[in-house]
Amino acid sequence: MSPRKTSPSTPDPAPSTTQPAVRDAVIVGGNRIPFARAGSAYRTASNQEMFTAALEGLVARFGLQGERLGEVVGGAVLKHSRNFNLIRESVLGSSLDAATPAYDLQQACATGLEATIAVANKIRLGQQDSGVAGGTDTVSDAPIAVSEGLRRVLLEAQHAKTTQARLKAFAKLRPADLKPNPPVTDEPRTGLSMGEHQAITTAQWGITREAQDELALASHQNLAAAYEAGFFDDLVTPFRGLSRDNNLRTDSSLEKLAKLKPVYGKNLAGTEPSMTAGNSTPLTDGASTVLLASREWAAERSLPVLARFVDAETAAVDFVHGAEGLLMAPAYAVPRLLARNGLTLGDFDFVEIHEAFASTVLTILAAWEDDTFCRERLGLDAPLGKVDRSVLNVHGSSLAAGHPFAATGGRIVASTAKMLSQRAAETGKPARALISICAAGGLGATAILESA
Amino acid sequence: MTDTYLRLVNSGVTKKLAKQLGLPRPAVLRRYEPGQPLVTGPVLVLGRGDNLPPAPDAPAPSPDADAVAHVLSGWGLDVRRHPSQLEDGGRWAGVVVVLTEAEEPADLSGPMLALGSTLRRIAPSGRIVTVSRAATPDDGPALSAVRVGIDGVLRSVAKELRAGATGNGIVLSGDATLDGPSVAGLLRFFLSSKSAFVDGQLVTVSSDAGVLPGAGSGWEKPLDGKVAVVTGAARGIGAAIAKVLARDGATVVCVDVPAAGDALAKVANQVRGTALQLDITAPDAGDRLLAHALERHGHLDVVVHNAGITRDKLLANMTPDRWDSVVAVNIAAQLRMNEQLLASGKLAEGARIVSLASTSGIAGNRGQTNYAASKAGVIGMVRATGPLLAPSGGTVNAVAPGFIETEMTAKIPALTRQVARRLDSLQQGGLPVDVAETIAFLASPVAGGVNGQVVRVCGQNLVGQ
Amino acid sequence: MSEETHARRTDHPGADENGRITVTMAEVPGLGGLYARGVAKPLLRHLPGRTSEGATVFGPGAASLLAPVSYRVAGVDTGDPALRERLAAYDRVVGEPASDVLPAGFVHVLAFPVATALMTRDDFPLPLLGMVHLANAVQVARPVVVGDVLEVRAWAQDLRPHRRGAQVDLVTAVRTDPADDAPAWRGVSTYLAKGVTLPGAPEPSEPHGGTAAPASDSSVEHPLPTGRWALDAATGRRYAAVSGDRNPIHLSALSARAFGFPRAITHGMYTASRALAGLARERGDAYDWTVSFARPVLLPGTVDVSVRPDGAAWVYEGWDARKGTPHFSGSVTPRG
Repeated sequence: MSPRKTSPSTPDPAPSTTQPAVRDAVIVGGNRIPFARAGSAYRTASNQEMFTAALEGLVARFGLQGERLGEVVGGAVLKHSRNFNLIRESVLGSSLDAATPAYDLQQACATGLEATIAVANKIRLGQQDSGVAGGTDTVSDAPIAVSEGLRRVLLEAQHAKTTQARLKAFAKLRPADLKPNPPVTDEPRTGLSMGEHQAITTAQWGITREAQDELALASHQNLAAAYEAGFFDDLVTPFRGLSRDNNLRTDSSLEKLAKLKPVYGKNLAGTEPSMTAGNSTPLTDGASTVLLASREWAAERSLPVLARFVDAETAAVDFVHGAEGLLMAPAYAVPRLLARNGLTLGDFDFVEIHEAFASTVLTILAAWEDDTFCRERLGLDAPLGKVDRSVLNVHGSSLAAGHPFAATGGRIVASTAKMLSQRAAETGKPARALISICAAGGLGATAILESA
Repeated sequence: MTDTYLRLVNSGVTKKLAKQLGLPRPAVLRRYEPGQPLVTGPVLVLGRGDNLPPAPDAPAPSPDADAVAHVLSGWGLDVRRHPSQLEDGGRWAGVVVVLTEAEEPADLSGPMLALGSTLRRIAPSGRIVTVSRAATPDDGPALSAVRVGIDGVLRSVAKELRAGATGNGIVLSGDATLDGPSVAGLLRFFLSSKSAFVDGQLVTVSSDAGVLPGAGSGWEKPLDGKVAVVTGAARGIGAAIAKVLARDGATVVCVDVPAAGDALAKVANQVRGTALQLDITAPDAGDRLLAHALERHGHLDVVVHNAGITRDKLLANMTPDRWDSVVAVNIAAQLRMNEQLLASGKLAEGARIVSLASTSGIAGNRGQTNYAASKAGVIGMVRATGPLLAPSGGTVNAVAPGFIETEMTAKIPALTRQVARRLDSLQQGGLPVDVAETIAFLASPVAGGVNGQVVRVCGQNLVGQ
Repeated sequence: MSEETHARRTDHPGADENGRITVTMAEVPGLGGLYARGVAKPLLRHLPGRTSEGATVFGPGAASLLAPVSYRVAGVDTGDPALRERLAAYDRVVGEPASDVLPAGFVHVLAFPVATALMTRDDFPLPLLGMVHLANAVQVARPVVVGDVLEVRAWAQDLRPHRRGAQVDLVTAVRTDPADDAPAWRGVSTYLAKGVTLPGAPEPSEPHGGTAAPASDSSVEHPLPTGRWALDAATGRRYAAVSGDRNPIHLSALSARAFGFPRAITHGMYTASRALAGLARERGDAYDWTVSFARPVLLPGTVDVSVRPDGAAWVYEGWDARKGTPHFSGSVTPRG
C-alpha cells in the first residue's frame, strides 16, 4: 500500500516557531443510546454492544459508512478483562472503515469528557482531521471478579507444568474462595462510597435537603421538556426498545421527593442526612459518542458544525484524609480554566455541571460563591462568582437522565454543542458554555465550548 | 414472512402432490439482480396487421411496431416480428403488442389472435406489454371503443397468464409520443424482472418529459447522483425502498420517527446514507427534511412518502384517536410536507415525489375506513399535485401495494393470510422489494412523462382495478 | 519447636545498661508455641505479696516483680526470600504501598514475638492469655529496609496499676547494626492484665473478665469520617497469616467465644497498621506512631475512620460506623 496522500484539509506544516500552530476542533454532532436504569432495558447488553450501537447511530446520522476516521477514543469504568480493546472492537463491529484506529482510556466519570479533550487536541494539533470520543458503562453486565484466593489458585494452576502441580494448586482452594467479588464503587483508599463522601461534603457545606430536591426536580422537568421539544431527536438513537432515558420521571414533584428516605450520611455525627435516591443519580447503563473534526473535514463532507472545542482543564483534590471533598475537583479546575481564557462565570450562556448528586452541583456552586474557599483554597482575591440558575443544566442532567459513568461526558458535550448552535442561530450572536464533570478518585474535568 | 405454501408447491414431493391435486401453484417470480439480462429470451413485437396467418389484404406493416422493435433491438434484445419465428421448444420472454394505430375494435382481432397463439409458449415470468393510446373525449365512438377495449383485453389476458408471467399496458395520452423517454422506460420496466409483482396495470404516459439514461451503465444506475428521502425507512417496505434507491445510485436520507431510530440507523448504514429521526407529523417536517438534504447533500431530487400507519376498526366502533392519527400520518403530513417542499422552490429540477397509496384506498376494505380515506386521499393528492411539479419537469405519483409480505401482514391470522395471498393473478403476496422497484422506476429521470398516476403493485389483485 | 528454641538459648554473660541480664535466643520464636506455653503457664491470679484472701501485703515495689532480664535475637535477615514474600503479603493485607522499606507495623510483627517470649517466662508476673493490648507506641528513627540484618531486644518495664488491673510495657528495640547507640525502631506495647491487683494498688474497679464499656463510649462526638473500613469475618485470619499472631480470639467466632467474645475481634495492631498505611505518603521515612485501643472491633464489622492533620502530626481515630462506639485512636508524626 502506498502512503496516504496528504489530504487537502491537512494544514500547512507549522512554522518552526515556539508557538505551534493550532487550528479549531469542532463538534459535528453526537449520538447516544437512551440511558437505562441498571437491571432494566439493557440488563443483557454488554459495553461493546452498547458502544457499537451508539457508534452505529452516529455513523448513520452523519453518513460515515466506510469512512476512515482519525481515531475513536473512549472507555468504560466497569470493564471486563476481555474488553481490553473495547473501543477498537466496537469500531471493528461498526460500519466505519476498519482502518480507523481506536484506543481505550478511562478517567472514571470524566472518561467521556477526557476522551473528547484527547480527540479535540489531536485535531487542533493537526495530527488528525476527525475523531469520535465517547464512553459506555453497564452496571447490569458488570464484571464479577473471582476471589483473591481463587484467582491465585487459577493463576498457579495455569502456570503449572504437570497435572500433579495443577492438582496441588487446586488443593489450596478453600470454600470461601468460591465467593465472587462483585464490583464496588467505593473509593479504594477510603472505603467510603461516593455517596458517603458526598454526604460528608454536603454536611460540611450545609447544603439543605430542600435545595437538593429542587435541583433534582428541575433536572427531571428540564429533561422532559427537552424530549418533548424534540431536542434529542438528533442526539439519541433508541436501543433495545428504549427510546428515552428510563430514569426520567415526568410526574416527579417536590412533595414526592420530600417523602424519600435518606440513603447516604445516615450516621454522620451532628448532621441531618439529606441525600436520597431522588436527589442522587441511580446506577445506569448506556453509551454515548461525539463526532469531532477540523472545520475543513466537516466542510468537505457538508457536515454541520455545532460548536468549537475551546479549552479544557482537569484537576484533582486530596480527599483521602478529608482535606477536600471527593467530588470537589471541578471547583478547582474551573477557576484555572477561566483565568487562562480571561473569562468569568458570567460569560457563559450555559453551564453544565454533571449531577453526580444534586448536592455535588450545589457544593461546587457554593464554593465558588464562598469568600474563604476562594481565597484560601483557590488562591483568588474574591469569590469566583455566582452561576445564574437559568443557565444551569437547562436541558436536564444526570439526575434525570441517569449516569452510565463513562457515557456521561459524551452526553453532555453533544447536548451542549447543540444548545450552543441553537442559541447562536436564535440570537445571531456567539454563545459559550462551560462543562464541569466530577469523578471518582477526587478527579474533575472541565471544558469550554463556543458556538462555531 | 415467508410464503411456505409457495415454497412447498415448487419443490420436491410436495410439488408433485400439488400438481396431482390441482392445487393453485404460484410460481417463484423472477426478480431483479444487478447485471441480470433484461429478458431471458426472444421478444416478439406485434402491431397492426400482424395476422395469423397473414391475411392477403393485410395493411402495411405497423410503423409504430417497427419503432418499438427498433428500441428493443437497441437494447440488444433478440427481437422478432412474427409468432412463427420461434424455434421448436423455444419460449417467448416477452410479447409487446403495439396498438397505437388501432382505429376501431375490429383492428384488435389480428394482433390479439397472434398474441393468443404465443400464450402457450410464454417463458416463466414472461412479459406481455401492450402499447396503446388513451381515449379522449374528442375521439370518435369507434376510436374510443377500441382504445378503452384494449384496457379490457390487457386486464383479461393478464389473468390468463401462468408461471409468473405478467401483462401490463403503456397508455399514451395527450402529447406523448412513442419516442418519449417514459415509453422506453416503461417498456423496459415492464419487460424486466423489476416489475415482477406488477400485473394487469395500465400506466399512462402523458408527455415526452423525462430523460433517457446515458450510454453505458445508465440503465443500471438510473439514480446516480440523486438525493432521495424515504420516510418510514426503518423497516418493511420503506427499508426496501431505501435499499433499491441506493442500489440505483441515489444517496438516501432515511427518515423515521425517533422511536424507530435504531432500525433506521441499521438501514442507513446498509445503504450508506444518512439517518434523520423526524416525526413527519411535526409542523415543520417538510422544511426540516429539505434543510437536512440541502445542508448535507446539496440538493433534493426524490421524496418517497412511505411512512404510514394502520389503526383498523369498523367504522361503527371507530374512535377519534384512531381516525385522526391515521389521517394525520398517512395523508395530512404528506400534504403539508409537499406544500412546504413546493413552496420552498428548492426542490431540484425534475424532482420526483412518490407516495404510498394502497389497494384498500382503491377498492375499499372492511375495517379500514380511516386507512382507505387516507390512502384514497393520496391518490387524489398526487393527481392534483402532479401538474404543480410538471413545469419544472417534476412528477408526483403514487404506488398502491396489494398484499405484501411484511411484518405488518405477518400479523394477519394465518388462514386469512393464506387466502389473501392467493387472491391475485400471481397467486401469491408480493415482496417489499417489488414495491420498491416500482417506486425506483417512478423516481428515475426517465419516468418524467408519468405524472399524477397510481401504479398498483398487487399481482393483479382481484379487488379494485 | 519452641522447646528446642528455648533449649538453645544461652544467657548473655553481661547485663545491659539498666542492669538487665541479656538472654540471647538463636532466632525469633514462633508465636504459636508461645501461646501454647502461655496457656500452660500457671495463672498468677495472686501476685507475690498478696494473700489468697486478697489482703494487701506490703512488700517490694511492683516494678521489682519484673525479672531483670532482656531477650535478644541477632542476625534476623530481612533479605530472606520467605520474609520478603511475607512482607509483600503483609503490605497487601494492611494496604501498605509495596516497598523495600519495612513499615513500622511489619517490624512490629517481626520483632514482637521476642517480647512475647519474655511474657511466657515462668517468672513473668502476668498471664499471657487474656491480656489486653491497651496501647502501642513506635518510634522509627531510621527506615529498616529489606536486606537489613536486625538485632532485636525486648524487655518488660513499668509494671503499674490500672483501674481494671495491672499494666505493663513491653519494649522492643530493633537495631540495623548492633553497634548503633539508638535503635532504628523502638516499640512500646502496653498490656493490661484485668483483675490483677498489684501490691499497694486499689482493687480493680470492675469485675475481672468484664468487657462492659465505659458509659460515655457511645455518646462521644466524632469528627466527619474520611474513610470507612468494611471488615469481613476473615479479617482476623488474614492478618494472623501475615503477622503470625494466631491468637484464637481473632480467628473465628467459635474460638473467640471460648475467651468470652461474642465474635472474633480484629487484631488491634491490624487497625493501627492500616491507619499507618493510609499515611504512607505523609509519614516519611522516620516517624512516631501511636495508638490506643478502646473497644475491640467485632468481626464482621464496619469502622468509620477519621484521619486529619493536627499541627505537625496526623491524628486518626476509628469508631463503630453504626453505634459510634470508639475503637481506637492514635497519631503518626513525621520526624522533621
